[in-house]
Amino acid sequence: MTLLQHDRGETSADRARARSAQGRPPSRRGSSASADDWRRRGEVLLLVTPALLLFCCFVLLPVAQAAYYSVWSWNGLTPLEDFVGLDNYREALGDPVFRGAIAHNFWIVGLSLLVQLPLGLGVALLLNRPMRGRALLRMLIFVPYVLAEAMAAVIWLLMLQPDGFMDAALESVGLGRAVQLWLGDPGVVMVTMMVVLTWKYVGFAIILFLAGLQGIPPELHEAASLDGASWWQAQRAITLPLLGPTIRIWAFLSMIGSLQLFDLVWIMTGGGPANASSTMATYLISQGFERFRYGYGSAVAVVLFAISLVVALLYQRFVLRRDVADRLGGRRR
Amino acid sequence: MARTARKRALGAVAAVACAALLAACGGGGGDDSADGETTLTWWHNGNNDPLKGYWEGVAADYEAENPGVNIEISALQNEDLRSRLTAALQSNDPPDLFQQWGGGEMAQQVESGLLMDLTEELPEEIESVGGSAAGWQVDGATYGLPWSLGVVGFWYNKALFAEAGVEPPATTEELLSVIDDLEAAGLTPAAVGAGDKWPAAHYWYYAAVRECSEETLTQAGVDLDFSDPCFERAGELVESIVSAQPFNRGFLGTSAQQGATSSAGLLANGKVAMELMGHWNPGVMSGLTEDGEGLGEDLGWFPFPTAPDGEGDQAAALSGGDGFSCSVTAPPECADFLAYVMSPEVQRGFGATGAGIPTVQGTEDSLEDPNLVTVAEYRDQAPYVQLYLDTAYGPNVGGALNDAVSLLFAGESTPADIVAAISSASS
Amino acid sequence: MTGRVSRTFAVGVALAVVAVTLAPVAYAVVSGFRTTGQLAADPVALPDPWVLTNYTSVLTSSSFWRMTLNSTLIGVVTTALVVVTGVMAAYALSRYEFRGREVLYTLFTLGLLFPLTVAILPLFLLLRDLDLTSSPLGVALPQAAFALPMTIVILRPFLRALPDELEDAAAVDGCSRLGFFWRIALPLSMPALVTVGVLAFVASWNAYMLPLLVLDQESAYTLPLGVATFSTQYTQDTAAVLAFTSMAMLPALLFFLLAERRIVGGLTGAVKG
Repeated sequence: MTLLQHDRGETSADRARARSAQGRPPSRRGSSASADDWRRRGEVLLLVTPALLLFCCFVLLPVAQAAYYSVWSWNGLTPLEDFVGLDNYREALGDPVFRGAIAHNFWIVGLSLLVQLPLGLGVALLLNRPMRGRALLRMLIFVPYVLAEAMAAVIWLLMLQPDGFMDAALESVGLGRAVQLWLGDPGVVMVTMMVVLTWKYVGFAIILFLAGLQGIPPELHEAASLDGASWWQAQRAITLPLLGPTIRIWAFLSMIGSLQLFDLVWIMTGGGPANASSTMATYLISQGFERFRYGYGSAVAVVLFAISLVVALLYQRFVLRRDVADRLGGRRR
Repeated sequence: MARTARKRALGAVAAVACAALLAACGGGGGDDSADGETTLTWWHNGNNDPLKGYWEGVAADYEAENPGVNIEISALQNEDLRSRLTAALQSNDPPDLFQQWGGGEMAQQVESGLLMDLTEELPEEIESVGGSAAGWQVDGATYGLPWSLGVVGFWYNKALFAEAGVEPPATTEELLSVIDDLEAAGLTPAAVGAGDKWPAAHYWYYAAVRECSEETLTQAGVDLDFSDPCFERAGELVESIVSAQPFNRGFLGTSAQQGATSSAGLLANGKVAMELMGHWNPGVMSGLTEDGEGLGEDLGWFPFPTAPDGEGDQAAALSGGDGFSCSVTAPPECADFLAYVMSPEVQRGFGATGAGIPTVQGTEDSLEDPNLVTVAEYRDQAPYVQLYLDTAYGPNVGGALNDAVSLLFAGESTPADIVAAISSASS
Repeated sequence: MTGRVSRTFAVGVALAVVAVTLAPVAYAVVSGFRTTGQLAADPVALPDPWVLTNYTSVLTSSSFWRMTLNSTLIGVVTTALVVVTGVMAAYALSRYEFRGREVLYTLFTLGLLFPLTVAILPLFLLLRDLDLTSSPLGVALPQAAFALPMTIVILRPFLRALPDELEDAAAVDGCSRLGFFWRIALPLSMPALVTVGVLAFVASWNAYMLPLLVLDQESAYTLPLGVATFSTQYTQDTAAVLAFTSMAMLPALLFFLLAERRIVGGLTGAVKG
């Protein structure tokens, strides 16, 4: 999403340049050109500085510090004096628990796409029709998404206790055999997490897809049905291609979110049992901060960032590029 | 074309902006007021009553007697406190008086010059707690004082033991047969909060105390060398208990204290027959039952069974305590207030709350709970008390140890793996 | 014919989705009207009798209101900071040409990829040195900084889409560039500002990790932190925990749902450019 607009920036700049060549209003031209230039620069500085200051001080600086700490063995107390080079990175990438955490993250990335895409798309297609109470419906579907992850985690944690609401509910509908140790069995816990994550985030997909669907002109469907196309054919031939950009952006947001997952897992399982639900972020907190290995934790943070960055860049290179090409070809808005 | 120029321009802007902000940042800190008023910040983990209210009262009493001193309390949940303390100690404005668990973690803080040496400041108070101060000393100097020191042991349900016709076991072999008998009676023998890791690790700590000699354990605490075969035997002892399958369903994800389905909750509600846990368990359990009573009269305590073939002292106790340290930047009132906290009257009042076992000799009589009296007696008769090994070995090795033991409980590691894990963490 | 069948089907699916979506929330709210004893005896049942004490004790506890106030204050400050600085920067990045503009923009958007987790320890040390822990600013400043990238990404295309003719016309009328920003661009971009404001407020209101590590006084706690703390402090009293959680989430939920269009609009706006 980001680089996509970056590319378009050039076109606008070109456009602007062309415009100024055509001639600007008199007040900004002529002998005072360089004075105006300086004023312009001053204005830019004035406008950009507060945001840049905030961003530098509270985002870039701490992130840079984290990168710096990552090459030291440091307990957070002593002065930085034990330089270890890349040892922290070597140890992290060699630790089966961290590798497991990375695998869990990618598992979540993959399954989120595989489960939420068809589910979200299917429901959105079904709901994309005039229906009484649709506004209300949209709102209700949005509930889990706007709920704080911490609060959702507390509620699910209580519901999933052994002999709690979930077990009793399953038993009452005759599914007592399906009862599992939802959060206590290393073989089950990731499936449980996926269910909770799907609950929390599928509504977001539905709403986003619905918004995308409503941007498709109904005339296209009318034309298709005049041509004798069935509903499914019309969806396949018209809706899905036109919804492409929305789907690709949703997938991007979903992947980045999955790679950074923390609150929900931290409150529900702390990464357990036996590390079966750890993610990169929970590993970072439990191995780095709780054991006072700030250098090591910082190395894990850098790895987490690097993985997110690579995924994002690859995705933009190979998937989102098409949208840019589309857009440069003919603006659809 | 102008890529490098752009970059340079941007770099300059960013550098100037950050420098400006950092200059602005530099002005902060330094809150010690010059008007004769002193503020003591006090961080402790008593975020629940009765302890929360008790400490508030202690602070208020001290303030009343010492005009000009204000005590600002931060009562934090235990895990939150731990995660914040390190970073806070390192900053310009550390808390003055704070929770201190002693051992390797404290040794790191001492090494970094963060703690006030109390040896000269509070000689009488150090004297008054006797051998209990050992965990809070480095090279003969005292940097913290424990105000509560308890012993880990088995809390059990007397009624369920009677139902199965068993008595508290004296040896580990008897423990295994007690487990069998409880199971045969259709009961769940034990609960363990392996989800929190340290409750499972307590089995290994105690097994190590039984299998290893005092010198070996102490030496390992200094040079972090775990090559003595007794450490592997400790793992084997734990493995023999785990493979008897005494634990509650889903124990790998069970928490120690949270709610009725935690290990303490299961014991409190009569769902399991016993649990290996610290001295605070009665207080926790009473909070986890509907009537606020816990098991009441049915609750009993017995020490960790002996391992007759082990090299360790079979009467030694595994313990952990809560202490307070003053940071090196704290005003002198910090030590004075700590002396007040350690005074016999405050210690007696603490004992009466039942929230722990006071350390000042002669104040144990304030304990009202008969089980706590038993625990205190066991502690006082032990030839030595070993600090929890994760605390003693410091957070890094200790954390690796707890992880490895909980994997053993999950059947995913072996006694040798545990030794390997802590050895590599310490290198 | 098939129209009616598929309509019934659609309604059925809609109801099923809503049921699954709302079940956990309903569970929390309804269970708040039960006692913990009722919950233990039968986890799946309606309150019998309905008990109000859980909710009344939440509503009468000063700590609940203090947390609500803290959350609101932090949310408002975060939102104000991010909207003001964000729109200024986005305006410069969209309607001025200067060397390094695209690099600067990329720098900001790169921030989308920094999870707070990466920076949490250095941030904590910085805030301690600034004496900002236990102050709403200590949470609001970093939150605003981390919300800037999304804000700028949403606002820039919006501001760029303002017709150039408009600016030229304004210039003819003697309106300076800053004057155009203040008198014309800002009012015209109000909808987008509301959107980024709502997004920043939601993120701030729901934040857990930063307040957890930064706020050291219980009197400064926010609601998510309070819920998590309350749930470990009163673990035995499940009903009270659920009542507390319900009270903490419902008002905000209502507000956010009313702002749903804004949130979706903002996100799809960012998507479409």
